[in-house]
Amino acid sequence: MAEAQKLLELVNVFKRYDSPDGTETPEVLKDITLHVGAGESLAVVGASGSGKSTLLNIIGALDHPSRGRVHLDGKDLARLDDKQLSQIRNEQIGFIFQLHHLLGQCTVLENVLVPTLLNQDADARKQLEQRGRRLLARVGLEKRLSYRPGQLSGGERQRVAVVRALINKPKLLLADEPTGSLDAAASENLTLLLVELNLEENVTLIVVTHALKVARCMNRVLELRDGKLVIFA
Amino acid sequence: MTFGKLIFQNLRYYWRTHLGVMLGAALSTAILTGALLIGDSVSYSLNRQALARLGETQLALVGQDRFFRSKLAGELADKLQTAVAPVLQLNGLLINRDTEKTARSNQVQVLGVDKRFWELADGKPITIDNDQVILNEPLAAQLKVEAGDQVRLRVARPELLSRDAPLSLDRDISIEQRLTIKTIVSEEQFGRFGLQADQVMPMNAWVSLPWLAERVELKEKANMLLVGGEELKNIPLEAAQTALQQCWQLADASLELRQLKQQKILELRSGRIFLEEPIVEAAVKADPSALEVLTYFVNEIRLGERATPYSIVSSLRRPPTPPDATTATAPASTFNQIVPSDMRDDEIIVNQWLADDLQGRVGDSVDLTYFVFGPMRRLQEQTSRFRIRAIIPLTQAAADRELMPDFPGLAQVENCRDWKPGIDIDIGRIRPKDEDYWDLYRGTPKAFISLRTAQKMWANRFGNLTAVRYSLTDGIKDRIEQALKTNLNPAAVGLFFQPVRQRALTASRQAQDMEWIFLGLSFFIIAAALGLMGLLFVFGIEQRHKEIGALLAMGFTRQKVRQLFLLEGIILAGLGALLGIAGSIIYTRLMIYCLSTAWQGAISGARINYHADNISFIIGVAAGLCVAVSAMWITLRRQGRQQVRQLLEGTAELLSLSGRRTPGKARAGYVLAAATAAAALLLLIFTGLGNKQHTAAAFFGAGALLLIAAMALSHGILSQSAGTTDNLLVSLANFAFRNAGRRRGRSLAVIALLACGSFLVFAVGANRRNPLAHAQQRRSGTGGFTLLAESTLPVLHDLNLEEGRRKMGLISPDLALIKVVQMRLRQGDDASCLNLNRPQTPRLLGVQPQELAAREAFDFVKTIEGKPDLNPWLLLKQPQTDHAVPAFADDTTIEWALDKRLGDTLSYINERGRTFNVRLVGALKNSILQGSLVISEEALMQQYPSEQGYRVFLIDVPPPKTEAVTQAFLRLQGTNRDIGLRVTKTQDRLAALYEMQSTYLTMFQLLGGLGMMLGIAGLALVVLRNVMERRGELAMLRAVGFNKGSLTRLLLYEHWWLVILGLAAGVVAALVAVMPAVRSAGGEIPFASLALILAAMLISGILWVWLAARLATQGPLLDALRHE
Repeated sequence: MAEAQKLLELVNVFKRYDSPDGTETPEVLKDITLHVGAGESLAVVGASGSGKSTLLNIIGALDHPSRGRVHLDGKDLARLDDKQLSQIRNEQIGFIFQLHHLLGQCTVLENVLVPTLLNQDADARKQLEQRGRRLLARVGLEKRLSYRPGQLSGGERQRVAVVRALINKPKLLLADEPTGSLDAAASENLTLLLVELNLEENVTLIVVTHALKVARCMNRVLELRDGKLVIFA
Repeated sequence: MTFGKLIFQNLRYYWRTHLGVMLGAALSTAILTGALLIGDSVSYSLNRQALARLGETQLALVGQDRFFRSKLAGELADKLQTAVAPVLQLNGLLINRDTEKTARSNQVQVLGVDKRFWELADGKPITIDNDQVILNEPLAAQLKVEAGDQVRLRVARPELLSRDAPLSLDRDISIEQRLTIKTIVSEEQFGRFGLQADQVMPMNAWVSLPWLAERVELKEKANMLLVGGEELKNIPLEAAQTALQQCWQLADASLELRQLKQQKILELRSGRIFLEEPIVEAAVKADPSALEVLTYFVNEIRLGERATPYSIVSSLRRPPTPPDATTATAPASTFNQIVPSDMRDDEIIVNQWLADDLQGRVGDSVDLTYFVFGPMRRLQEQTSRFRIRAIIPLTQAAADRELMPDFPGLAQVENCRDWKPGIDIDIGRIRPKDEDYWDLYRGTPKAFISLRTAQKMWANRFGNLTAVRYSLTDGIKDRIEQALKTNLNPAAVGLFFQPVRQRALTASRQAQDMEWIFLGLSFFIIAAALGLMGLLFVFGIEQRHKEIGALLAMGFTRQKVRQLFLLEGIILAGLGALLGIAGSIIYTRLMIYCLSTAWQGAISGARINYHADNISFIIGVAAGLCVAVSAMWITLRRQGRQQVRQLLEGTAELLSLSGRRTPGKARAGYVLAAATAAAALLLLIFTGLGNKQHTAAAFFGAGALLLIAAMALSHGILSQSAGTTDNLLVSLANFAFRNAGRRRGRSLAVIALLACGSFLVFAVGANRRNPLAHAQQRRSGTGGFTLLAESTLPVLHDLNLEEGRRKMGLISPDLALIKVVQMRLRQGDDASCLNLNRPQTPRLLGVQPQELAAREAFDFVKTIEGKPDLNPWLLLKQPQTDHAVPAFADDTTIEWALDKRLGDTLSYINERGRTFNVRLVGALKNSILQGSLVISEEALMQQYPSEQGYRVFLIDVPPPKTEAVTQAFLRLQGTNRDIGLRVTKTQDRLAALYEMQSTYLTMFQLLGGLGMMLGIAGLALVVLRNVMERRGELAMLRAVGFNKGSLTRLLLYEHWWLVILGLAAGVVAALVAVMPAVRSAGGEIPFASLALILAAMLISGILWVWLAARLATQGPLLDALRHE
């Protein structure tokens, strides 16, 4: 994948959290260097507390590294302010969480369109709505458009969350334990869906998981061990 | 582990959440208990003041214009074995001319006392020398004097014969004396002495009783008796009255039994000239053959061209002897000699002197011209024609000069040219022969007519006889005197005791219910505190959903879980209530401080001391606890309906939101909103506009309905926003609107709290009136009058007439322009809102109803049904089936001071000791007559015939002349015509009366505003809670690209419209509710101050939301992505 156009680049990234009592805490991430090409799919595995989610948050511009640089599509995230980071998250990154975080008061379609609210262009939003409908149909929820999240199964909720993550045509799709709260069947379905969408939408997919079954569906699998990123054996 | 330990651990673990709940309970308890303590403090203070003004006095005999022997006090003291103090109480003025600008006090209660008076004060007896005076503190302050200074005292010399009685003197003979101030007494030293229930200290001056009595020519007389005793020694009213019955003598009723030895007659006379009806009844009953006498002064007896001026005419009659009468002591011969039994009503017997003067013969007609007295001493000269029946020689019985009573200005005068009766006589008409007659025969009657005719012409409210005569025999005097004492109830001549202590304590006990007033004023703040507490409690429970789920999963029943939480709540509420006790003391002291300073207008300057009854603490704490626990119980009932799995998974909200697809709830809200709005409209159309009296209620009802409609509409909108599936999210605002519907209960609570708060604050604020708007109109509170005057001494004449004014010394040409409505005054308790005590017998104003009817003065809130098209004032002349006296009072007086309604009655004791009822038949609207009951002058005179003259005046003045007229009145001050006139602009009086209402409105707005602040703090809590609960959601939004600004905006949009909707709903509903007040005279919305209050609410609401939103978006949200 090295030949592919570089989308994400982490160089010598370290992360240490501040301790509440001011004492020094161990580094969660140590000297991480990672290159991810456009359209690639990557899984990061590791034990609980190994720093997988921390890594994902740093990649997704939700957190900053203690040291090191993160480049997304050529932009150094450290040089961007909150507003610019928010814009990047809105336009270039899609998030899928272990918990779906759907809004109970909104319908399935509305939930999908929440990220589009920040778009000031009405025509564009109209198009995005069509895209939302299409994607929901793609994930088999075309008959659930006006359902509320409370009326959906766990798998369905997570599929809505996937569509929400893709609505703004992001370049990078980040999934943090996306199948963590699903049963085996739903988990498999979602994994397949993610892989298919990775290809169909040409979106780079990074999945953090401890489920090997999910990880093996990706192009590359890396493991976080003792704060370092190593190739999964 | 025990259940109790679990509760203890829970309390400890969740102490932060619980602290809020506890503080909410503490706040509501503090304010609730504080209101009770304010009531305690006011009652206690008024009670203390009541006791301070009475000392040890339990009963009082108040004679006013009736004077009795001061020795009666000693006789009663012996009989009752208790302290009895005689007092001569007169109204007077005090002037200090020593200051640069003369200081004066018009309404001074001058009290002639001896050391027995001071013994009632439980203090050292004080002896006052003849040239000394003692003042109380407020009087000394007003006069700017201290002990050792000199002041001038002026009192009118009382006359036994009322100034309103025929042939009474028309002028006051006042005495003025320079006195040295011996000492100045404080409230504790009996300085507050007074019999009227009023928290404001009267102006009192004490002088020596013997000195004062002598100076006003009432030697050894008094007009007040105070019966006292130690606090626990109760002196029954009946015992005192019985003792009085045993001790009283004829002299105490100004009666005298004279032995006229030459005429062999025993004659009963009165110092008051005319014998009142009960006396006549008793006198005749003492001896049924007694001879009744009525003698009068006539202006002229004319026969053709000849006329005899100024003569005395008598009438004599022996009453028909009852069949069982055994005694016959009347001087039958006298009777028979002068007036034959078959004397006709139009016949007259003249003496030889008169016959010669008129050259009259038997059968000739003569005309008798005489004055009769109308109101305001208006003299009406009337003439009656008689036929001479007989001419009798001026000898024996016909030459009885004692038949003439001691008419003032006549009887004691040597030369008839020196006559100065209370009527205008033309001295020039008196001929030498008239002088000779006077020299020889004095007041010997020149003619005799029948008693029936005489009484028709000359009987008046003071009596219908001038003497009753008995034949003088051995022992007759003692026998008649004893019989009179037996037959005549002393109460009938004004000698009766009143339970003044009991009344004073009742007045203070039933004083204005300050606890309820403060509960009302603090209602919103209590509700807001409870609402806040409820919210915190709910949040506490919601925070522990998973714990509830775990307990249920472990086998706890829902009931057991509720019990667990409720017990926690009870402990918290209990702790809060205990904390509230301390808070209540601080709150009460703060309120008392405010009432003594900024809010002094609410209690008219009364001094309030902090006092707390234990029972108030118990009630306050119990009530606070009950209310708090009830709020928690209701909250708990609404909780815990979710499934265990949902609670454990934390998906309860998600599932509950999905259950709102049906638009039924929204529709129900809209239907209810439409129905209540329609009901409001119908109410206005059919009730409000139809009947004026119901207008205010209808508009307020409509306003309240609109408030409900607004709530229902909000419910509908929120339900729709939560339940809609048709509209896509098109903007942040749209998204925020959708979010507001997710916690419909909370959102509605916020809207309701703000709507109710703004409704109350706005409605109350809009009731603030400008009392002076339209004040010049007849239908306003001033009645269209410019000046209101009240005099210390009565005005006897008609001030509308130049002659009347001249007699009063009012000679300014400016006064020719005035029109005056004169009113009589019977002193009593001040029943205006300025008196915190419950008035037992409010003062009475006697008015001629037609005078105010003709002017259509003042406006009425309500009257009882009278005849159609009858001017309301004429209701005062409409007889009541139960003989009650119809009365008007100010609406405020009826509702607040008296706690009565139209149709209710008040009991009074009339001058003769008989109880009569006064019925409230009309409520005046915000008038300057507040504080009194207005009855017809006729009714007042019937019940209190001795009341003299007029003391209250409503004066019409052309506006440019107001100052000139006021000055003309005030020029009387310091002259020998000084009647202690206080002249006030009616607008000033109205403004003073309005001050209390205005202060209460301020207090309500302030406390309501504080409640609103709590409500807005509740809003902040809701926002924070909403935000905290949605941290996962907010984190997701951050993850999908919302920056902090967008998130803050979203949260602001979500909650601002709740603030705006709540305030708008309240204001619109309030505008409708207060429309009648706005349209009424003086009603105008104080837009500026209300806009300020609303702006403050709006800004603080927005600020809280902004702060909460900022706080919520500042912290690390990322954790929430994994730990929703």
